[in-house]
Amino acid sequence: MSHIRLFLDDGVTVFNLVVLSYFFLGNGIYTILMLLSLRATWVHIRQMTYQGLDALRHSPLTPPVTIIIPAWNEQHVIVNSVRSSLLADYPQLQVIVVDDGSTDMTLDRLVQSFGLVEMDGAYHPSIPTAPVRTHYINPTIPNLLVVSKVRGGKPDALNAGINLCRSPYFCNLDADCLLEHDALLRLMDPIVNSAVETVVSGGIVRILNGCETKNGRVLRVGLPGAWLERFQVVEYLRSFLFGRTGWHLLGGTLIVSGAFAVFHRATVIEAGGFSHDTVTEDMDLIVQLHQWAADNNRKIRMSFTSDPVCWTECPSTLAMLANQRRRWQLGLCQTLWKHSEILFGRKYGIVGWLSFPFHSYVEGLGAAVEFLGYLLIPLGLFLGMVPPGLLLVFILLGFIYGGFLSVGAVLLEELTYRRYPRFRDLLTLLVFAMFENIGYRQLVLFFRFQGVLRFLAGSRRWEKVAHVGAPAEG
Amino acid sequence: MVNIADPVTQWAFMILVCVVTGTGLLIAVAFFRRWQQIRYLRYVHTLRRKHRPILAKLLSGAQSPSGVEALRELPLADLELLLDPLFSKRKLPERCVVFLQALCAELGLIELWQSRLAHGHAAALQSSGSGAHQVHADRATMRYVLRAKSIRNLGMLRHRPSWPLLVNSLDDRHADIQLVALRSLATLGAPESFAVLRERLHAIAPGKSTSPPLQALQAAMASFDLTCVPALLPSLRHPDHQIRWHATEILRTMVCREAARQPGLALTPELLTPPIVELLLAGLPVDTSAEIRARAAEVIVFLADPRATPVLRNLLLDHLWFVRLRTVRALAHLRQAAAPLHLDIRECLRDDHWRVREAAIQTLLSLGPEGKRQLYEHFLISPDRAAREQIVEVIERTGLMSALVEMYSAGTKGVDALLVEQLASDAAPLGLSGVLRTLNPEIRQRFLDRYLPYAQLIKMMLPEETRPEVERADNLQQVLEFPPCLAA
Repeated sequence: MSHIRLFLDDGVTVFNLVVLSYFFLGNGIYTILMLLSLRATWVHIRQMTYQGLDALRHSPLTPPVTIIIPAWNEQHVIVNSVRSSLLADYPQLQVIVVDDGSTDMTLDRLVQSFGLVEMDGAYHPSIPTAPVRTHYINPTIPNLLVVSKVRGGKPDALNAGINLCRSPYFCNLDADCLLEHDALLRLMDPIVNSAVETVVSGGIVRILNGCETKNGRVLRVGLPGAWLERFQVVEYLRSFLFGRTGWHLLGGTLIVSGAFAVFHRATVIEAGGFSHDTVTEDMDLIVQLHQWAADNNRKIRMSFTSDPVCWTECPSTLAMLANQRRRWQLGLCQTLWKHSEILFGRKYGIVGWLSFPFHSYVEGLGAAVEFLGYLLIPLGLFLGMVPPGLLLVFILLGFIYGGFLSVGAVLLEELTYRRYPRFRDLLTLLVFAMFENIGYRQLVLFFRFQGVLRFLAGSRRWEKVAHVGAPAEG
Repeated sequence: MVNIADPVTQWAFMILVCVVTGTGLLIAVAFFRRWQQIRYLRYVHTLRRKHRPILAKLLSGAQSPSGVEALRELPLADLELLLDPLFSKRKLPERCVVFLQALCAELGLIELWQSRLAHGHAAALQSSGSGAHQVHADRATMRYVLRAKSIRNLGMLRHRPSWPLLVNSLDDRHADIQLVALRSLATLGAPESFAVLRERLHAIAPGKSTSPPLQALQAAMASFDLTCVPALLPSLRHPDHQIRWHATEILRTMVCREAARQPGLALTPELLTPPIVELLLAGLPVDTSAEIRARAAEVIVFLADPRATPVLRNLLLDHLWFVRLRTVRALAHLRQAAAPLHLDIRECLRDDHWRVREAAIQTLLSLGPEGKRQLYEHFLISPDRAAREQIVEVIERTGLMSALVEMYSAGTKGVDALLVEQLASDAAPLGLSGVLRTLNPEIRQRFLDRYLPYAQLIKMMLPEETRPEVERADNLQQVLEFPPCLAA
């Protein structure tokens, strides 16, 4: 009996240490990222007051860009998304919509809305894909091409888009996203003005729920009414405004949202295009590019700017949220596992020594550590192995520190972009930031833990989040 | 329950207190900033609303000494706030720029901006005197922002005497200032500064330095007028191929921009100087760097010199595909240059690289009736299905397909009609399917009235063994989804 007790004692002590390291490492790095981002975003906002985008808009050297929109059963949102892309303020723009074998009215709606006619276009694949069936064009909208292909998944649709794209850069855009008028110009700015070859430029994705839209444009920014969506607004602010900005500043970008990012076409083709191995093809490509650059001794840069905005619909029900988060976690684990040789690899620099280990431990494994913590720590308490007072203080600290970081993200938004103009919005955001860690975080953690379990079970299922269309369409 | 004496608990408590205080502080800062911002925006709004009529009057060119006096009473910081939206505008009308420049000079703003660039912010405040101490506190901490704005404003105002200051700003320690200075120099377009930028190019292009960014420098130089081209000669002749390449790219951009503005542009020795023309005809087209040859082609097409034709012909036969691609694309810009080269462009339809073939199709289509005739003839005689598909794709994309079908339905003869018949006779009607489905029913009927007898005739004339596997008329009927009685 004493052996079991001893074993349990040791086990709980080790687990407590793991939880403590997870807590301090995670929150410590997040705090550093927050401080870095605060300064960088502040400076960027100031820069925009004198730099403007005019030079880029009128420069003959601004490279052409193709927006690639992969679509599978997106009948409710596709027309608005294409419309907002066609209206984007960019000197040389092409839009390619790849209908990945939709079984709903996606293709018909595109054909009707844009007056498309069939054509027999040539297809020269640089990256192998499922067969492309038909091309659709409207000669009066020369910068729009719609192709329909045999279903092959989102990466396959993106690869087909890359094969059809003729410009040096392409921007992948999810079918449920609305581009802000000058988002593409802002996204291309770091590419054009960089002395080092910038192969990826990512922007911020904001939540469309609660905003008023018309013809693919956001007319009025507002907060959604439902608590689930409001928590996601805070979560997105934290993730984009200081998570990604901070990693970019440290040179350790590992995730660029696949919903909205610009890539250098030739580099992506050289790196093999979007892979089918994982369910988060965006992250997989970024990690693949890091690996490819290190293996080929190429100096590349990945940029993240927090003001090119793309608006997207967030899940409005628990079931949809669960689908989304399970997929994200599964994809994260798959990608980290697939590229595990980067971990502490000398040639990968900051990515190999900081970013990849952090994502593996805190973001990947962390879901399991935290979830099990919620189960095992009460067990330790029950068995008398953990002092109750210390546990109480620690749990309180965990909740409050999480709130501190979320409030920091809201403050960052307030100091810089201030997209939510009403005073009431600021108040709401702060309240939701403070309480995000009580209830919502645990809920998301549960879905993430399910994602980890699916990874361990070898699942590769792509869980689709259904979109209902832009809210408050005027 | 909580053992305060335990050192671990004490530490945890301390951290907890710090975090709670920090969170409270962050919330307080968020509220304070919102309040401060609202106050600031109200102030700016009131200021602009009050002075907008005066400003509008002055910028329209009307004389208003009282208006100028009223503005003069404002602190310089307020004047900057008032005028800032004008400088942030996409494009200010030329007329406005003239009046704005005069106004800024009268109000002492130009002097302030120049002073900021020459002596730094503190000295500028002292020298500009009245009211400048009221500059918004948080703006003073971001001095480079003020310098950058000063540079931007001087550029926007096309204040030519300020060009040496802008050139000096290229050496600023802040990378953004260098970038803004480059853009302002480009807007200003002072020919004197072009030579300075050329020297920068010579320093940066071989990779010795990365600041200012090469692309920004290139874009700035390309914004200058064509009269500055002679100053590029040393770069175009430079032994370093990187410098030659960037110079050729700058020249190409300048010429293409001018050609877009002035459709009949002809580059003469008077405009470019004879040494540059000679270099374009004899030096750059045979450069060891393919990138230079490719870019030179896009300038040569605009040369008003008969020697350009054989040079372009040679470039169309270059061993590297992207040189051929650029040359064939360039020929689409200018019909006169391409006229003697129709057959050479048509040869490009047989090129190994599909992008060259595609560019050749587009060029031929842009060359008017003769170009189209060459293209259609090639389609009719070419056995290469991939090339034929490419031709059809471009015809469809440009919207020509429906025009061709309509012309055929109206009874037009010649190469156009042959093209339509061949398209329709194909086992899988190339490119016609979409057009025929969306065609006006009356025109479609006329099309069938003309085409079906032809198809029957062909079917009878062809020997049994050479007939296509799929019956053409049936196939067409299937494509159109007509009832059999109609097709029969």
